[in-house]
Amino acid sequence: MSRQSADPQLVEFYWNGHPLSGRLGEPIAAALRRHGMGVIARSRKLHRPLGHSGSYIAGVLARVDGRPNVRLDLEPVGQGTRVEAQNVWPSARFDLLKAAQLVPAEALYGGFEHAEWTPQGKRGYHLWERLMAHLAGMSPPPLPSLPSAIRPGRRVQYDVVVVGGGPAGRQAANEAAAAGKKVAIVTRGHICGRYAAACGVEQDAIDDRVSVFTGIELFGSYRQGALLVGAPHRHDQGAIAFDAQEIVLATGRRSIPPLVPGSHVPGVMDAQAALVMAHDHGVAPGKAVAVVGSGVQTLIAKRLTSLGVNVVHVGDVAKLTRINGRTNVTSIEIGATVACDAVVHAGPWHRDPNLIFQTQSAGLLQLVSTEAMGNLRVVGAAGEVDEDIAVPADLSDDVLICPCMDVTAGELLMHIDAGETDPEVLKRLTSCGMGPCQGFPCWDSMIAVLASRLGRHPTEFARPSHRAPRRAITVAQAAGLHDLVEPDR
Amino acid sequence: MSGKPMGTMAINASLPKKASVVIVGGGIQGLCCAFYLTTFGIKDILVLDAGYWQGGASGRNGTLIRPGFGGPEWTELFKLSCDEWSRLSRKLGENVMFTKRGYSMIAERAETAAMLERAADVHRDLGVHSYFVSREELPRHLPAINHRRVAATLHLPDGGVAPHHAAMKGLRAACERNGVQVFYRTAVTAFDRTGGRASAVYVGQYRIDAGTVVVAAGGQNLQLADLAGTKLDGYSMRIEAMALEPIRPLIKPALALIDSLAYFHQTSRGEIVGGTEVPERPRMSLATDLPVMAATAKVYLDMFPQLAEVRVLRHWAGMIHVSSDFGPLLGEHPDLKDLWFSAGWSYGFAGAPGAGLLLAKAIATGDIDSRMRPFAIDRFDRGKPVAEAGIVLAKN
Repeated sequence: MSRQSADPQLVEFYWNGHPLSGRLGEPIAAALRRHGMGVIARSRKLHRPLGHSGSYIAGVLARVDGRPNVRLDLEPVGQGTRVEAQNVWPSARFDLLKAAQLVPAEALYGGFEHAEWTPQGKRGYHLWERLMAHLAGMSPPPLPSLPSAIRPGRRVQYDVVVVGGGPAGRQAANEAAAAGKKVAIVTRGHICGRYAAACGVEQDAIDDRVSVFTGIELFGSYRQGALLVGAPHRHDQGAIAFDAQEIVLATGRRSIPPLVPGSHVPGVMDAQAALVMAHDHGVAPGKAVAVVGSGVQTLIAKRLTSLGVNVVHVGDVAKLTRINGRTNVTSIEIGATVACDAVVHAGPWHRDPNLIFQTQSAGLLQLVSTEAMGNLRVVGAAGEVDEDIAVPADLSDDVLICPCMDVTAGELLMHIDAGETDPEVLKRLTSCGMGPCQGFPCWDSMIAVLASRLGRHPTEFARPSHRAPRRAITVAQAAGLHDLVEPDR
Repeated sequence: MSGKPMGTMAINASLPKKASVVIVGGGIQGLCCAFYLTTFGIKDILVLDAGYWQGGASGRNGTLIRPGFGGPEWTELFKLSCDEWSRLSRKLGENVMFTKRGYSMIAERAETAAMLERAADVHRDLGVHSYFVSREELPRHLPAINHRRVAATLHLPDGGVAPHHAAMKGLRAACERNGVQVFYRTAVTAFDRTGGRASAVYVGQYRIDAGTVVVAAGGQNLQLADLAGTKLDGYSMRIEAMALEPIRPLIKPALALIDSLAYFHQTSRGEIVGGTEVPERPRMSLATDLPVMAATAKVYLDMFPQLAEVRVLRHWAGMIHVSSDFGPLLGEHPDLKDLWFSAGWSYGFAGAPGAGLLLAKAIATGDIDSRMRPFAIDRFDRGKPVAEAGIVLAKN
């Protein structure tokens, strides 16, 4: 494949105690995929196998060197890094919790804690609670021996903060710099424009006057956008508070997973994750890859092929009816059965609404987006209208809408058919979107299902409140922001 | 799942034309009051809420429940409420998942430790079970706490937590089973004061005659009091809380760190949920701000250093209406007959079953319980605020 560095430094790391080789600095998820290990995590309740999907963070969370809930798609491989699967008991190799997969999904409808399953009476209840707390906790607490130092943050001032380092972000940043403004680009990638580079898109060079912050997840927009906060993926560095006169969002769009059974199975990836992994790390999503999409699937397939990926099928995502496989994709149903071990989806495309919502939302009874954009400007693909999500007329109850919290279409439909049509209430009844992804992309899917069932359009429904910081910051990093920002007295 | 359509104003065609009691606010105060009214044989109860189910402070609080505070007035009311919590699942026929995992009040400073000594005396006098956890016992009681920062730990074994989704679900189901009509997304927009009493409420143009009106609208109490042409003590304030990513059990009891103004517990799904108070100017908004997240994280890091590498999952705000002494405002309004309030709450989730019971008893029988009397609405006019030192709230 194209961009493998000529002489990667090989190191040894451990996956559930097994030594594996990896390339120093590549994401652990890529190294595991190279070794053919697709199952990284287990869903919260039913312990369904999950992997690196680009869509659902729960699929890449593991314990790394004693730290729980580390994102393996961002955490680099190091010499001797110890990586352990979470949500297993007593051990990853001999995991009795897998038996939870035998529980029918309907038995666990209704959020996470199930009052109807709970024994009454003090003793029974306490035992049950201890059991459930153990099951729900995913991972033991961080090792007490880990350093507990505060990670001091800093506060910086810019006229313009551009979020996203792709072509649109670069253009906006360069224009602002040329106009004499003090400009920063903040990107979660280790370099700017990682996805554009993976797509083979030519990008303008970034003006020397622009400050570039890489590896920073900008998760929060406070005070109507006057204060932005980001945290580095590296847990040993401090967070950054940006005072911004103007925000430019150039955060692009991502593909929403298809609403078919099996869309959560390891081997299903969004186009961005697949392209970045193939381009940056020389790892293909699978040996035989199907690409489905809402229009650009042919382009994406071509690009994947040029990166050395074996594409065996290209098709319209609306025609996809099922993804087969349990611990990995084995085939798809798309008119005919197509054997494959990976599915890359490229559309329908939606923008992540988090920062826009946080910047412009207001309300007393509910936070809702207002029309006022204030100092916020959206450029590039993030400014385009969300594409419609195709909801099959015979939507299967088995489709996982929120794999992190094990919320199925069947569970949502049960509440919708009982008359609960308020997205905020559906969220509370099912826990949909309350896991590590915090509502994107699963609220887009949830609202599509709701609108389709009621014969209405998704834009008629107010989204549940998007809340910072979406697990982007550790307690030590957040504590490092103490006293940096005065309370609004 | 009891399914009543809740969404648009069009649904309000099914609103009744009159009700014996109209409760404005479908949070935990309103639903508790409605439920206990049904146990006194009251029929035709209507609950109206402008927001969505669990959307107000009842669905945004720390869910901590304790029977004891620093002074006798709060302790008597909350002991009753805590006792009701322990019976609530049985009374409702619905599991509210109240768990007596205990509640520890922690002092970091010597003068606060002395306050806890006085609180323990109050508890003993009023029959609330509490005891000090010795320095030797602390590592067993709270293995992960930074012992050096703890001056005293007063533990209330009968306290605990109840997840608000279970409590609100159980209360709503029991209310509806007992014939209470509950409507969300249905805002009361006016009151009728004909005949010198609260005689009706309006939802837009739609009039609903009421025998009694109870306002239990949390952060919106002051606006509703204003709509009813009455004055109410206190101000609205925003409180913020946050949840950490789930981990296996680390902290067993619910905690109040009196000196850090922090309260938190680890839920049975592994998230550590809580917050601290940072004084700010009062405002009406559900938007969060950075200082509370940073201050809460600082408390966690100082008191539970093992949490350093745990991630902050989400952070949210809720609105409450607090009185000048942070105590509830319970009872009939002195200036308008048949207008009752359950307002001014800062520990409303914990206090709701007790307050609901006493308020229902007062409305149904006319008997004002002695545990409710100190919290009368006109106590400030009479120069009788209720002082309470065992709470974690900062005056704005």
